[in-house]
Amino acid sequence: MIWILAMIIGVLVTVASYLIMQRRIIQVVLGMAVLSHATNLMIVASGWVGDGKAPIVPKEGGPLDPFAYVDPLPQAMVLTAIVISFAVTAFLLVLAFFTYRKFQTDDIDEIRRLRG
Amino acid sequence: MNAIFPLFVVWPLATGTLLFLVRKRSALQESLSTLALLVNLILAVALLSATADGTIFVHRMGLWPFPYAIVLAADRLTATMLCLSSSIVGTCAVFARSYLTDAQRKEAFHPLLHFLLMGIQGCFITGDLFNLFVFFEVMLMATYALLGFYYNLDQLEMAFKYTCLNLIASAFFLLGVSLLYAQVGTVNMADLAEKIKLLGPTPLIVVTALVFVFVFSVKAAIFPMHLWLPSAHSISPTPISAILAGVLVKVGIYSIIRCATLIFPAAFLILQPGLIALCLCTIAMGALGALPQTSLKRILAYSTINQLGYIAFGIALLSQAGLAAAVFYIVGHAYLKSAMLLGAGLNQKLTGTVDLDEMGGMMGKAPFASLLMLVGFLSLAGFPPFAGFFAKLFVLQAGFSQGAILATGIALGFGVISLYYNFTTYQRYAWGTGGGEVGAASAGLYGSFAFLSAFAVVFGLGAYWLFEWAQLVAAQLTRPELYIAAMRDLG
Repeated sequence: MIWILAMIIGVLVTVASYLIMQRRIIQVVLGMAVLSHATNLMIVASGWVGDGKAPIVPKEGGPLDPFAYVDPLPQAMVLTAIVISFAVTAFLLVLAFFTYRKFQTDDIDEIRRLRG
Repeated sequence: MNAIFPLFVVWPLATGTLLFLVRKRSALQESLSTLALLVNLILAVALLSATADGTIFVHRMGLWPFPYAIVLAADRLTATMLCLSSSIVGTCAVFARSYLTDAQRKEAFHPLLHFLLMGIQGCFITGDLFNLFVFFEVMLMATYALLGFYYNLDQLEMAFKYTCLNLIASAFFLLGVSLLYAQVGTVNMADLAEKIKLLGPTPLIVVTALVFVFVFSVKAAIFPMHLWLPSAHSISPTPISAILAGVLVKVGIYSIIRCATLIFPAAFLILQPGLIALCLCTIAMGALGALPQTSLKRILAYSTINQLGYIAFGIALLSQAGLAAAVFYIVGHAYLKSAMLLGAGLNQKLTGTVDLDEMGGMMGKAPFASLLMLVGFLSLAGFPPFAGFFAKLFVLQAGFSQGAILATGIALGFGVISLYYNFTTYQRYAWGTGGGEVGAASAGLYGSFAFLSAFAVVFGLGAYWLFEWAQLVAAQLTRPELYIAAMRDLG
């Protein structure tokens, strides 16, 4: 299973790198959002153990194999990371919007030219 | 003290929220802001005196046992950094009272300043790597808003660049955390330190250390991640520039110190030659970059890069002497550079420009301001008896005594260039031709500038005491087992 996650992370990072290097602001913002998703998946992957059962103790209890269950802590951490990346992306969109309104363009080269 | 020091996060959060609630009454908001920052400074000084005997305070959030709780911890380094940040932010807030008009300050300036302080102080007191990431984001969020404060063209473009760069750095921070978690299964710094020590410097650990070096060097403007600094520090509103240069870059430096002494000491030994080369490049980039500039704020920004190179060099020596020199340098540079930027703001108020060629001949027109600037430039250039001289002296001494003759020699050589650009800058500033009439500036501007400048003299004449303290800090840092034991005892 872990190799599927690894490939998804790889694809996301590729997409993000391509978008961040584009000239339009909105593409850069989208690239940032995709990049943060790639790192979030990376954190989820860091808690993957063995065959990846859900970390819920059955009602009847009994001896449990700790290596059969996924570590839940990274999943708690990833929630924090998602919220933060959501907030920062929202801020970046506002910034992009103001930049667009001021410069009347969302092309980064054009903005640099207008700034002189 | 153990129960009190989470206040360093809670207090600015509470006051920031309160200031936002009274945003319509700007006089009240200003007075409350100053008062709240003063209380914060008193708390920091109390913590400093409590950590002086070597106690390490630990607070576990929610009182969970040792490796599971999110911990806040305060040792001598933390207390030093807290004193430094709260006094500088406080002085900048006083400066902003006279510097920004009500319209310029808008409603958000003081609340954002307090949220910024919350993030900064959170970074200093946390003992948990993931929590460090969270506080980094709190700090950066406030910084983004303060950088683009007036929505003018330059600021918007710069704020966008700065935000994107830091977002990439944040992504790498999380990457580093997940790499560490996958290897040792913890994010508590003390627990990490122990488990990584057991694991030894495997290739993957060294790569992880490198990821963290990259992340923190973005914040600390270490070569090759220094390019954002000159425009960010010169375009933002002056009180903010002073905080950015004095305190914010030090958060990056502080995190590098924690990585080098506590979390990855073995990996840093392997990376050491590369790190020293990066520090020398930083010193060179700062010194050479300052030469062609004409804007006072840009020269100060390049000088910040230059000085950060020396601080990082002290850390990269990975010895007690090097760390002590770096701590001395951090304290000296923080006060000095924020004083100089406030000085640039004062001169901007007087002449309406930060361009040296348009200023010209300030010695005749504003003698008191020029005299204070002279103290600053002499200290930046590394001239005795000011703090800047002793800071450079200790770093170079640590380098030479460790046998890093070539690297320290290069650092010394670039010191000559920094001497040159500081003197020519001051010459153009004080005796240059051109420039028109000079306006008036209020006592608040002079007062806060003089207050921070005074530290350059105090730390110069009292270098012995500050260096003794820096050695105490370094002695604690070079024995990470004390830090780990303090967390375990409460665990």
